[in-house]
Amino acid sequence: MDARIKYSVLLIGVGIILAFLPFNAAQTFQLKADELLSLSVSGDMYFSVDQVARFVNNEDSTVQIIDIRSAEQYRECNIPGSVNIPFSELLNPLWEPTLNQKEIKTIFYGNGDQTANYAWTIVTGMGYSNSYVMKGGLNEWFKTVMLSQYSGEKITPAENARFENRLNARKIFTQINSLPDSLKTRFFDAKRLTQSKLDGGCE
Amino acid sequence: MNQLKNLKIVVLVLVVLLILVIVRNSNQHIFKQEVKTALEAVQNNSNLISPEQLLQLKSKWLVVNIGADNLPDSLRIENSIRLPFENLLDRANRKILEEVEGDLILYSSDEATASKAWIILNQLGFENIFILNLGDNQEVLKYKFQPDTTARLEQDSI
Repeated sequence: MDARIKYSVLLIGVGIILAFLPFNAAQTFQLKADELLSLSVSGDMYFSVDQVARFVNNEDSTVQIIDIRSAEQYRECNIPGSVNIPFSELLNPLWEPTLNQKEIKTIFYGNGDQTANYAWTIVTGMGYSNSYVMKGGLNEWFKTVMLSQYSGEKITPAENARFENRLNARKIFTQINSLPDSLKTRFFDAKRLTQSKLDGGCE
Repeated sequence: MNQLKNLKIVVLVLVVLLILVIVRNSNQHIFKQEVKTALEAVQNNSNLISPEQLLQLKSKWLVVNIGADNLPDSLRIENSIRLPFENLLDRANRKILEEVEGDLILYSSDEATASKAWIILNQLGFENIFILNLGDNQEVLKYKFQPDTTARLEQDSI
């Protein structure tokens, strides 16, 4: 058989098969549906506001907090240290290195639960592991961290630790969101310096 | 004879490719939609439907309660079924969803569950699927941040 005819038949055959393949661009879910459902059902995808408050107080470098609200809402107030990636920008390739982290936990938050869960499902479906949601969003943050007060007569050590954690996070949140944008980065530098002095370390 | 052998190899390659395509397409657990479609629908809120809009729909619809709680009595919706979220993609449940005529309306008292289910089903290729939105928009910040006007960085720390 003539080699040209042989290759022509092969190419035409492959072409026909490719024509019937479903569209599969780079941005489709990589996980299988049952895998994604199983992860979605698990409660392991959530962090409480108290846990996030602890990350903020400790400036934990193993987590990054992603604010998926609009830039305007972010400017008004945000969780200290968070990065603003509006939901509409989630598929922007520029953000992929930030969102697709193997070592660092990515925690999404919005004002409520809905948009953060959309974002979580999308990035997890795309195969970005290590993604989480702050349960309740900023509304829960305000309710629990910013406004909660202890009203009992006695306080257990565990409760005391919890309220101290909230109080510290509240203080940082208020301070940093009251500063102009130009001073926000310097706030953390100043905080680290003060801490190192208290710890007796080098400046 | 040699020509026939060559032809057999070509046909064999094509058959193997065809089998791979059929196997891939028949796997119900593989997502086939572009993520962008889901993102756009969410941004436009075109995936949400209010009870009033639902009752005015002229096409057929079915409410699928995937949450832990019953549908609120105030809705007075009879055309509904209950499928637990964790079993949503079980073979029998999936068949039910696929056989729904008209619009598929997801409901959960926990909006996070409905959000995740909507994305999963949308990306599996289910069309005309909406989330029943009861109006209490949790995505609005209910609190107003009060800046501390006395806040400043310590001079010696800068």
